[in-house]
Amino acid sequence: MKQYILQRLASGLIVLLGISIFSFALIHLIPGDPIRIMLGENATAEQVHALREQLGLNQPLVTQYFQYIAGVLQGDLGTSFKTGRPVLSEILERFPATVKLAASGMFLAICIGITMGVLAARFKDTFIDFSAMSIATLGVSVPSFWLGILLIMLFTVKLGWLPIAGGTGFRDLILPAVTLGVLASTVISRLTRAGMVEVLSFDYIRTARAKGLGERAVLFVHAFRNAMIPVVTIIGLQIASLLGGTVIIERVFDWPGLGSLAISSIASRDFPLVQGIILFIGVIFVLVNMLVDIVYSLIDPRIEVGQTKEGTS
Amino acid sequence: MVPKAHLKKLFSTATMVSLSLSLIAGCSTPPASTPASESGTPTTSTSTEAPAATANLQPKKGGTITIGIANEPDQLDIHKTGMAVANQIAGNLGASLVTQDPDTLEFKPYLAESWEVSEDGKTWTFKIRTGVKFHDGTDMTAKSIAETYQRALDPATAAKVAGSNLSEVESVEAPDDTTLVLHLKQPFAPLLQFLSDPGWLQPLSLQAIAQAGDKYGRQPVGVGPWKFEKWENGQSISFTRNEEFAWADPIFQNQGAPYADRLVYRFISENQTLLAALDSGSIDIARGVVAKDVAKYRDNPQFEVKEMLRNGLGLFVMLNTRRPAFQEIEVRQALNKAINKEAIMKAVIQGEGVVSYGPLPPSLFGYDEGVMDYGLKYQVEEAKALLEKAGYTKNAQGLYEKGGKPLKLDLLTQTGTWAQASQLIQAMLKDIGVEVNIVTLEWGALVDTATKGSFDMTLMGYTLNDPDVLYLFLHSSQADNGLNFSYVKDAKMDELLVKGRTTVDSAARKDVYKEIQKYVVDQAWWVPIYTEKQFNVVRKPVEGVGIHPLRGLMYHDSWVNQ
Repeated sequence: MKQYILQRLASGLIVLLGISIFSFALIHLIPGDPIRIMLGENATAEQVHALREQLGLNQPLVTQYFQYIAGVLQGDLGTSFKTGRPVLSEILERFPATVKLAASGMFLAICIGITMGVLAARFKDTFIDFSAMSIATLGVSVPSFWLGILLIMLFTVKLGWLPIAGGTGFRDLILPAVTLGVLASTVISRLTRAGMVEVLSFDYIRTARAKGLGERAVLFVHAFRNAMIPVVTIIGLQIASLLGGTVIIERVFDWPGLGSLAISSIASRDFPLVQGIILFIGVIFVLVNMLVDIVYSLIDPRIEVGQTKEGTS
Repeated sequence: MVPKAHLKKLFSTATMVSLSLSLIAGCSTPPASTPASESGTPTTSTSTEAPAATANLQPKKGGTITIGIANEPDQLDIHKTGMAVANQIAGNLGASLVTQDPDTLEFKPYLAESWEVSEDGKTWTFKIRTGVKFHDGTDMTAKSIAETYQRALDPATAAKVAGSNLSEVESVEAPDDTTLVLHLKQPFAPLLQFLSDPGWLQPLSLQAIAQAGDKYGRQPVGVGPWKFEKWENGQSISFTRNEEFAWADPIFQNQGAPYADRLVYRFISENQTLLAALDSGSIDIARGVVAKDVAKYRDNPQFEVKEMLRNGLGLFVMLNTRRPAFQEIEVRQALNKAINKEAIMKAVIQGEGVVSYGPLPPSLFGYDEGVMDYGLKYQVEEAKALLEKAGYTKNAQGLYEKGGKPLKLDLLTQTGTWAQASQLIQAMLKDIGVEVNIVTLEWGALVDTATKGSFDMTLMGYTLNDPDVLYLFLHSSQADNGLNFSYVKDAKMDELLVKGRTTVDSAARKDVYKEIQKYVVDQAWWVPIYTEKQFNVVRKPVEGVGIHPLRGLMYHDSWVNQ
C-alpha cells in the first residue's frame, strides 16, 4: 500500500510536469497581450515596452518556462501580473468558497442521484424508472448557465426568496448548490441504475432472495455495495473537477471561487495566475484520483491497490 | 480491473484537458480595452428631470448604497494602478485641487482656494485650504500634496496614469503649508482637467503609505467623503461614511458627510446576473448596462436610467497614409462620403449615440457644433466622383482601379460591435466599387499591427477627458511609436496641436480646437463614425444620484429613501 502510494505520487509528479508545460504553452499561444490589457487603450509603445521588460515577458519562452518551474519547485508560484500579490495566496483565498459550493453541490448530487438510481433499478421498466431516467436525460442536456438563470429568474427576481450576488452565506449558497447538485446527480443516477440492474441479475442476488432475505437487505446489503464501484469513480472525478472551480456556475451566480478567478485571470491574460490555477487543479486531480483508488479497496475487498502488476504482465 | 483503471485515468486526463481548454476557450474574448464607462455627457432629458422629481424629498441619513460593476480593480493605490475602474472607485476616497462645473465645464476652486499662472505659463501656484484631514487623522497640507505628486513623478513608483497626467510637470514644491507650486516643462493646458479628477491626482498620506507598506493598495487612505472599510476578494469593496468630512466639492448640494452609512461596489461580471441583481434589489445601481437592455427600465417608475455620452470617439476608421492610395486626399474624402454613419449606429448600437463628423465628441472641451455643417456627409455619387477625379476607373468587375491595380483595402477590427460595424463598412464600400477585406484581431494584436503600419484601415476608439487626446493620435512625434497609426506628419497639424496643449486661456484654446477640428475634417485622415451612450440604472429607494459629463455617476447627494 505504502509503495503503491509512493508510486502514484511519483507518476503524479510527471503528470503535473506535463500539465505545467501544456498550460504554459496554451496560455502563451492564445492571442492576447497582458501588457496591452493592463495598460488600456491609450498606452504608448514605450510604456508597453517598459512593462514587458519589467515582467520579464521579453525573454524567450523556454527561459520563461524554466524560470517559472524553478520557482514552483521552491514553492513559489510567482506573483499575479494584475494585483502584484502572490499567486498562491490569491488561490487559497478563493479556494474555500469553491470547496463550500462543491461539497454542498456534491452532497445534493449524491443524495438525489443515488436515490433516483436505486429507485429506477428497483422499479425497472415501470413509470418510476421511466420518469427518473427522463429527468436524468433532461438534466444531462440542460446547460448549467440556462438552469442557473432560470432559477435566478424564479427564486430571486419573481419570488424574491433568495438573494443573488450577495456573498458566500448559507442563503447565497442554496441556488448555486441546487443547480450544481441537480446537474451532477444525473450521471450518478444513470450509473447507479445501470450498476444496480446489472448486479440484481447476478446469481447471488437470486440466492439471497431464495434464502428469504427481505428486499431491503437484498438491495442495500448485497446489491448496492457492488453496484457502487463505477459510481464512486465518477463521484471522485466529479469532486475533483468541481474543486477546480465550477466555472460556469460560479460565473452565473457571481460566486467568488476558483472558477471565477480562473475566468478573470484568463481575461486579463494574467499568465502566472492562470498557470498557478491550472497546476493547483492538477494537484487536486492527482490526489483525488489516488483517494478514489484507495476507497475502491474499502468498498470491494477483492480489489487490492498496488496489485496492478499481474494485470499488465 | 486493470483495463478499468486505465480507462479511468484516461477519462480523468481527458476531463482535465477539456477543463483547461474550456477555461481558455470560454474567455477568448476578453474586454479588449479598459472601458471608461463612468464618463460621458448626460442627455438633457434625464439629467434635468431627476433633480425635479426628488426636489420635494428631504434626504435621510443611513442605509447602504450598493453599486454593481463588471470589473474588479487590481489595487487602489492610485499611483500604481492603470485601471479606469480603480480610478472610479478610488475617487470616493479622495478630493481634487479644483473642480469642474457639470453644466459649464468651467474649473472652480476646491482643495485649492485659488490659483495663479505665471506669465510664461510655466509656474502654477495654488493656495491650499486648511482644515482638511486624511482618514488616518493627520492634516492635509500643501506639503502632503507636493509629496504625493513627487511620489507619482518618482520613476521608482512607476506611476501609470497619475504619472502621465503629471508628465509635463518638472518639479513640485510647497514653500509653506498653504502654498503649492508646480513648475512645468512647458505651458500645459490640460493640467486643470487632470487636477479636477478626485481619483488619479488626489492627495495621499505618505505616512499611511509607509505604514501599510506592500498592503497599501488594499487599505488606501485619502481625504474624501468615504473611508475604506474592506475588500472581499472577487466580491466587493466597501466604504463607510467619513463622519469628519466637512470639505465637500462645491458642485454638490450636500456640503457635509455623505447621507448613506456605507457605499459598496459589488463585482458582477455576468451581464444577466447584474440585471437580475438589480431587478431583485440585491444592488441599487447597475453600471454599464448595454443599450438593448435599457428599454425595459426606461418605462418602469421603479428605476431611473442615467445615460451619458462616452467622453471620446467610440468608433472611427483610421486611414493609413503610408499607403499610396491614402496619400491622395480625394480617396480619403471619398471614403468619408461612402460610409453611412447613421445606418451603422442604428444597426450596431440601436441608435443609442451621436453620429460623429469630426475628431471630437460633444462631451469634450473644444467641440465645435459647426462640424455638423461642414463635416463630410453620406453622398455616394460624390464619393464616386472623387475617386474618378483621383484617376480611378471602374474595371470589368465594377471595382475601381488605377494603373491596373484594383482598390482593395484591409480593415482591422476586433470582435463584438466593431465586427458588426466593419461588415457594414465592407458592404457600403462595395456599393461604390471598393473591395474591403476584414481582418479580425484581438485588441493587443490589433494595436501591434497598427503600430507597425502593416494595414490599410483600422477601426479605433479612444477615451480621454481632454481634447489634447488628439495630440496622441495625430502629432508627428507619435507616428512611429505612438497612437498616430494614420502616420500623419503634417507641419500645420503639429503646430496646431502644440498650440492646443500650451494655450492656457480657455477661450483662446477653444478657438484652437475649432481650427483643429476643421483641419482634420478637411484632410480626412479619419472617418469618424459615432460616439456611443453609456447607461447606468438606479433603483428606488436610492435617490439623488448625480451625473457629471466627464466623471460619470456622483454619489455625494445620494441617499436611501427607506
